[in-house]
Amino acid sequence: MIVRPRREDHLVVGKYTGKVIVGVGMLMVIPLITSIAFAEWDTAVDFIISIAACLVFGFGTQAICRTQKDLSWSHGLVVASGSWFFATGLGALPHYLSGHAGSYLDTLFDVMSGYTTTGLYLMQDLDHVSMGLSMWRHLLTYAGGQGIVVIALTFLFKGTAGAYKVYVGEGKDERLLPNVIHTARAIWLVSLTWLVIGTLFLGVRGMQLGQGPVRAFFHGLWVFMGAWSTGGFAPQSYNTFWFHDIGYEVICIVIMIAGSFNFALHWAMWTGNRKEIRKNVETISFFITLSLTTMVATFFLAKANVYPDAMSLFRKVFYQLASGHTTTGFSTIYARAFVTQWGPVGMIATTVAMAIGASACSTGGGIKGIRMGVISKAFFQDIRRMISPESAVVMEKYHHIRDTWLSDGLVRGAMTVTIAYVTLYGIATIIGTMYGYPLVDSAFEAVSAASNTGLSCGVTSPLMPAVMKVTYILAMWLGRLEFMSVFALLGYGVAVVRGK
Amino acid sequence: MTKRLAIAFAAVAALLVLTAAPAFAADAPIPVNKPNSTALVEHPKGYDGLTVTFTGEAIGEVMARGTYAWIHLNDDAYELKNVEEGAKLGGYNSGMAVYVPTELTKQIDTYGDYKHEGSIVQITGTFNAACKEHGGDMDIHATSVRVLRPGHVVVDVVQPWKVWLALALIALAFGLWRVERATRNLVRPNRGV
Repeated sequence: MIVRPRREDHLVVGKYTGKVIVGVGMLMVIPLITSIAFAEWDTAVDFIISIAACLVFGFGTQAICRTQKDLSWSHGLVVASGSWFFATGLGALPHYLSGHAGSYLDTLFDVMSGYTTTGLYLMQDLDHVSMGLSMWRHLLTYAGGQGIVVIALTFLFKGTAGAYKVYVGEGKDERLLPNVIHTARAIWLVSLTWLVIGTLFLGVRGMQLGQGPVRAFFHGLWVFMGAWSTGGFAPQSYNTFWFHDIGYEVICIVIMIAGSFNFALHWAMWTGNRKEIRKNVETISFFITLSLTTMVATFFLAKANVYPDAMSLFRKVFYQLASGHTTTGFSTIYARAFVTQWGPVGMIATTVAMAIGASACSTGGGIKGIRMGVISKAFFQDIRRMISPESAVVMEKYHHIRDTWLSDGLVRGAMTVTIAYVTLYGIATIIGTMYGYPLVDSAFEAVSAASNTGLSCGVTSPLMPAVMKVTYILAMWLGRLEFMSVFALLGYGVAVVRGK
Repeated sequence: MTKRLAIAFAAVAALLVLTAAPAFAADAPIPVNKPNSTALVEHPKGYDGLTVTFTGEAIGEVMARGTYAWIHLNDDAYELKNVEEGAKLGGYNSGMAVYVPTELTKQIDTYGDYKHEGSIVQITGTFNAACKEHGGDMDIHATSVRVLRPGHVVVDVVQPWKVWLALALIALAFGLWRVERATRNLVRPNRGV
């Protein structure tokens, strides 16, 4: 029997969703200040409207939904996915008011892509976008990478026990410190430290490459945000191809890979446990699969004679593959060059890298390294069982911060989420092919959206059918929140309508 | 009298020429790229190593690296007029990266961004599907640069309706904040949940 949520449940969900949306409004103050600093008055007014709309929603829901009840697990999941839903709708206002979007659906696409750190976009004439709106695009993806709920937890929630449930609902389940709000703040400490160092490196390199100090700083900041959050947004339509420099690419690769690592791994390193990076199942899994996919793509592109020498070949392949595997979405080739130069094998290798994706509890998406590690270990455990005497007890463990023995429940959990991802990839691919896109192109783009990567081979465009835009929005949302929260929200909706 | 008339005619004619000259330059037809950036990206092997003439809006900035520099030319729907100036939306930006002697870039006065529509620049050079000198980048190595139309400043005017909407929403948000503050401790009775 489906139990209809009580009034008190609605109040809890409304109250905490309102808090998160106030947080989104507060975040818009940064692009507002940027617009004012650059005398972009029309953009500044767009942000004032958007901030006020967030506050109206946030204060309105908090005024209506007065309760002292704390969050349950189901509330946490519903608040997380519901917050993302409303944060997308309201966060899209600056995009829409700028006049650079073909429709409100396009702006929802871009904002969902930002929050989910995907990096696909439908915004038109990006090269003439204001500094304020550029700041918002990149801030969306930086904030989305940490988790918009994490932001709210850091600044707006005061010691509620239910906070952990919202935190988990956003696809993060690592508790770096006993208190979840301290964990959220630890995530920010790590991220902001990297922000300062990364922006400094990119900014100085930008100036060496001929950029003016102001542009070098802002491009450095935004490219950092795109790389660290594994978001893939960049200030110019040329993406990181704009810079034409191997040094800039190396800095980006370091930041992308660091951003794709589990926050628990970062925290272990931060607190002096340096060995963890060599022993962790996710880093081992990442380097094995990145090496394999890079080798396959390099071999076939060398055969096709696409690049003039080995250095160029490796530079291009490794950058796109590292970008795809970390689910960043930066590229140093034109989107259509995947089709016109790389061909099917290069595209399939990239698709596989994107499908596997980054680490759990990171800014990245995809199936995740820990699940690949667990499934691989279980596979080899079964082989060892088969070749061992019947009486032998074959045990297997993996290392992630601490050693954990593989159990059937653990493997089943990893398999369930993996199957869910593969199903999502499949459905989005089929929808693309139904609209006439070639299978390889459609799979590339579908996996890119659902794994929150953002590399494009040209399928994503403002002229794409609306059904595909909606499909990719849902794929990005489901992929980022790892299904459960979105299913909880849908279940909540069904319970409201059909519950007793 | 005839002399004065002749001088007046000459003055008017000179004025017309002087005022018409920039207008003529501003309205000079912009050649359609053959091949354009889309064709170059779609068929890179077909044009690899060929000399191409490419026209587009100089965008962003010049990145000078010693005697050579990088510029980017967009030949898209916003080449002559961008969204801030009221151009119709026409898809993504598209263009080409151009490697050019730094000296030749000095004639480009404006690079396109939010507050500027960049100069329309025509270059001639060699197209590389995967440039050996630049780590496999798709680019054009230009040997000549010509500015066909200077760039200009773009003024983005604040729409009055946006100001009114902003004021109304601020007032509403302030009112709701006061209500929320005033009723914060008035918790509804818990009905047996």
